[in-house]
Amino acid sequence: MNGSSSHSRSSIGKKQLVAATGLFLILFVVAHLAGNLFIYGGPEAFNGYAKKLVGLRPGLYFLEAALLVVFLIHLDATARLVLENLRARPTGYRQGAPAGDRQGHSAAGGSFASRLMPWTGAVIVAFVIWHLLDFTFVDRDGPAGILPDGRSYGLFGVVYNSLGNPVHCVLYIAAMLCVGTHLSHGIQSFIQTFGLVGERRLPAVRRISNALGIAIALAYSSIPIYVQLSFWVFSRRGV
Amino acid sequence: METLNAKIPAGPLKDKWISHKDKIKLVNPANKRKYRVIVVGTGLAGASAAASLAELGYNVEAFCFQDSPRRAHSIAAQGGINAAKNYPNDGDSVYRLFYDTIKGGDFRSREANVYRLAEVSNGIIDQCVAQGVPFAREYSGYLDNRSFGGAQVSRTFYARGQTGQQLLLGAYSALMKEAGKGTLKIHPRTEMLDLVVVDGKATGIIARCLLTGKTSAHAADAVVLATGGYANVFYLSTNAKASNVTAIWRAHKKGAFFANPCYTQIHPTCIPVHGDYQSKLTLMSESLRNDGRVWVPKNKGDSRPPSAVPESDRDYFLERKYPGFGNLVPRDLASRNAKEQCDEGKGVGPTGQAVYLDLGESIGRLGRDVIRERYDNLFEMYERITGVDTYKEPMMIYPAPHYTMGGLWVDYNLMSNLPGLFVVGEANFSDHGANRLGASALMQGLADGYFILPYTIGDYLAIQPPGKADTEHPAFAQAREAAARRTGDLLQINGKRTPDEFHRELGRLLWDKCGMSRREDGLKEALKKIPAVREEFWKDLRVPGSGEELNQALERAGRVADFLEFAELMVRDALHRRESCGGHFREESRTSEGEALRDDENFSYVAAWEFKGAGRDPVLHKEPLAFEEVHLATRNYK
Amino acid sequence: MAKTINLILNVWRQKGAQDKGRFEVYKADGIDTDMSFLEMLDVVNERLMKEGKEPIAFDHDCREGICGACGAVVNGRPHGPMAKTTLCQLHMRRFKDNDTVTIEPWRARGFPIVKDLVVDRSAFDRIMASGGFISVKTGSAPEANAVPVRRRDAETAMDAAACIGCGACVAACPNASAMLFVGAKVSHFGLLPQGRVEAKERVRGMVARMDAEGFGNCSNHYECEAACPKGISVSTIARMNREYLSSQEMIWTKES
Repeated sequence: MNGSSSHSRSSIGKKQLVAATGLFLILFVVAHLAGNLFIYGGPEAFNGYAKKLVGLRPGLYFLEAALLVVFLIHLDATARLVLENLRARPTGYRQGAPAGDRQGHSAAGGSFASRLMPWTGAVIVAFVIWHLLDFTFVDRDGPAGILPDGRSYGLFGVVYNSLGNPVHCVLYIAAMLCVGTHLSHGIQSFIQTFGLVGERRLPAVRRISNALGIAIALAYSSIPIYVQLSFWVFSRRGV
Repeated sequence: METLNAKIPAGPLKDKWISHKDKIKLVNPANKRKYRVIVVGTGLAGASAAASLAELGYNVEAFCFQDSPRRAHSIAAQGGINAAKNYPNDGDSVYRLFYDTIKGGDFRSREANVYRLAEVSNGIIDQCVAQGVPFAREYSGYLDNRSFGGAQVSRTFYARGQTGQQLLLGAYSALMKEAGKGTLKIHPRTEMLDLVVVDGKATGIIARCLLTGKTSAHAADAVVLATGGYANVFYLSTNAKASNVTAIWRAHKKGAFFANPCYTQIHPTCIPVHGDYQSKLTLMSESLRNDGRVWVPKNKGDSRPPSAVPESDRDYFLERKYPGFGNLVPRDLASRNAKEQCDEGKGVGPTGQAVYLDLGESIGRLGRDVIRERYDNLFEMYERITGVDTYKEPMMIYPAPHYTMGGLWVDYNLMSNLPGLFVVGEANFSDHGANRLGASALMQGLADGYFILPYTIGDYLAIQPPGKADTEHPAFAQAREAAARRTGDLLQINGKRTPDEFHRELGRLLWDKCGMSRREDGLKEALKKIPAVREEFWKDLRVPGSGEELNQALERAGRVADFLEFAELMVRDALHRRESCGGHFREESRTSEGEALRDDENFSYVAAWEFKGAGRDPVLHKEPLAFEEVHLATRNYK
Repeated sequence: MAKTINLILNVWRQKGAQDKGRFEVYKADGIDTDMSFLEMLDVVNERLMKEGKEPIAFDHDCREGICGACGAVVNGRPHGPMAKTTLCQLHMRRFKDNDTVTIEPWRARGFPIVKDLVVDRSAFDRIMASGGFISVKTGSAPEANAVPVRRRDAETAMDAAACIGCGACVAACPNASAMLFVGAKVSHFGLLPQGRVEAKERVRGMVARMDAEGFGNCSNHYECEAACPKGISVSTIARMNREYLSSQEMIWTKES
């Protein structure tokens, strides 16, 4: 049997592909978050971090390409799984009810996040595109980086200007909630899909996964809120 | 009347099977695949037989009416399976298992068969463990045993309260292994409607596909019936709803002798009946009797709740009457005593047709956790059905038809009087005499299927040229037409009553007249009434729908029709056996203390009935039972 | 004591695999609350037959929760509202007077509808034939106590082996996946030393068959566990996932 190709064609294999690429993406999300938090250190710290990152090129190109490939594999395998899943039940039920809430059963939990996976995933794809246009493919030293005081703050200014827009801010937070929800299922799903823990530790894994999802969403969301607050304080005090 | 020859090998009891195996004819390995064997039924006996025969190289076709072979009713056996392993070091041996089984069967079974059963019992446990049956184990990692009714040693292996399920899944996995290899073909949702006999030999079956209604003919060099028992003749029993007598009854009508049809087992620990709509009775494993005490209030009409009845007002009647075995007396005694208490007006519950099974003392002595580990699934089941929490209140139990010791007559090779027709498991009559001990049905089914039939079938096939049976033979066409016509007839009556209504009527009649205790006048009355019900059935039955699709009412009607014919034979057998033995209790035949009284002088034989045509009396053939090893004794469990 | 209730049933009726099928409404009056759900259907069927109408077809046999034949989706839940309960063990005291009860068959591409509430679950048998066994021939087994098995492993294997093959896991899964069924079987055998010999072939064979039968994929919703009448844990799926990965001969593990 030609293992690796039959593996990636099988249901479990595809799922493990999604999980493995998912883990890579989770690590990226965490690393990205760590970088973002430099914003609390002010323009110098933040721009300095960004510069250091750019200084890692061309090695960074390799990582970015890998990230893109992983992202596409994650999408492709998921899309195939979802299509198969839709085909697996051609006729739905007239009356649907999640089984988890039946009498006498301690609800498995995570059903809400898990059912939303394809949708939160789709939102994240849209967000990534918007996010790249907004922050990555932008002239950092151009007008987008100039704050109300008339000075250019580089990438720091770009972020402030974008997230200072209330609509952007709300969309960003919504997207981050999707990321958190996606991850709250994704982390424990990774562990289940590779069978890393048994029955006794599964509930703890679910709790940790949920907590991490919430923590990541909150940490990311804190930035636009912080930006909004800064603008608010800024406008009250005047320049 | 002729005397039947069981072809029991000569020699000392302990050597019979060994020397028989040494001398039995063998089929050349290269020739085996040329022989086609049909196995009907995929319970423990059928699945194990079919899988083992396929492993040997025979060309096997397995039939079951369920949607999957895994659903045969063996799956519902709860308690366990006996074997003479003597792991607990409590003095068990093959001989003791043999003796307990003979004695439990009230000396109405064949010594040689029972000894063989005990002999192969250990191999069954080995086989099942190797298949992955997750038997209960001790912390050491070695197999655990528990005790069961009718024995003073712990020899019962178990897998929680689901031993039958696990053993059947083991046999089923062996079956699927062979199906996957293509050595065996499974026909699910296909019901056998007739046996085809050519030149006096069984050469195939007629079957009906339950999905399309199409009847088909299947030829084979040998036919194995593993179609279970007929306890559903009582309508309410612990059997699955679809368990039926059709296959063995049709084989009987084609010439196979039916042995001891009156030997039916009434299981003592079932959940009592609670309404007219009731569709089946649920058994609570007899293992509960290990830790439960059976009692009724001492005084008639005591309607206090059980907790309000003080010890001094309770009658632990089994412990009182049988101090030696107490609550662990054989099933027939436990059942009959419960009925007697209820007949005296001491029964409990809303209908007065129940006794208490009280685990309170054991819960106090061993703690809730131990009891929970042993019986939790049973308690849960009881609570689900009755809404009563057994940790707080004693259970109520009442006997219910459970198993049938009678069945088609077979010789030592498990072959019926029709050459080529083999019968295994509950469908044959062979090993349990007049009463079966707990945890012995699973043992017998698997013994027949794994370790007996695969040898003995060769003895017949070796002298048959392979592939002789052919569905082109006119006998097949005739049988097929007859089966199709009968199905068509059921659809055309167009009366008013449903199959279940007739079945209920028949069941009530048999339960009253031919149930736990039987009396001459009642049996005669039943013998008059059954033909009347049958006549009514063929006049006033209503089966909607057509015969060319899945039609469950039609399936049921066909089975009820056969029960209506069979019931008469059962009653006739009960009437002719003017003695009490095991599950067959004739009120006329009892000791001064009211216990069952056997009549060894006149009835120490197997009654095998021959069908002589519709409307004609069946003819009785006798197989005398010779007891060379054991001493015929009055069963004494005191 | 015994009480009676009146119900309105919405039942899926479908003549055969080719028929489109539709819901029909039936009145079930005077239902004793001590009845089981299937006894309630028996009563409705008897009444239908008296009227010369075709009874509702449904699979059932043992009526004590072990054969796995019965099952329908009742008000959106496979086997009805009670946890760890097959339809035959569900009792009418769980329903209220004048409740409307919607009864549908299992719906999955892997389980084509045969008639009304009856579906074809033979896919499960084919999956079993693709590795759901230990290949020991009759007669070749060693002494039963020759290989001790850790009690905990035997108990966990028994937990998994309790599966009755009813298909509720597939019915409950939003993806109609059969992972719990297959996971239970892989776990049962895989936990026992006797089953380790063929563990790799088993999981590969069974998963390949499962995929070919048209069941969906596992998205870790765990609806299956909640619907399972025997309470089989999704940790059996985790174990199967692990076994499946380690059963693969990857390019770097392939022997030359």
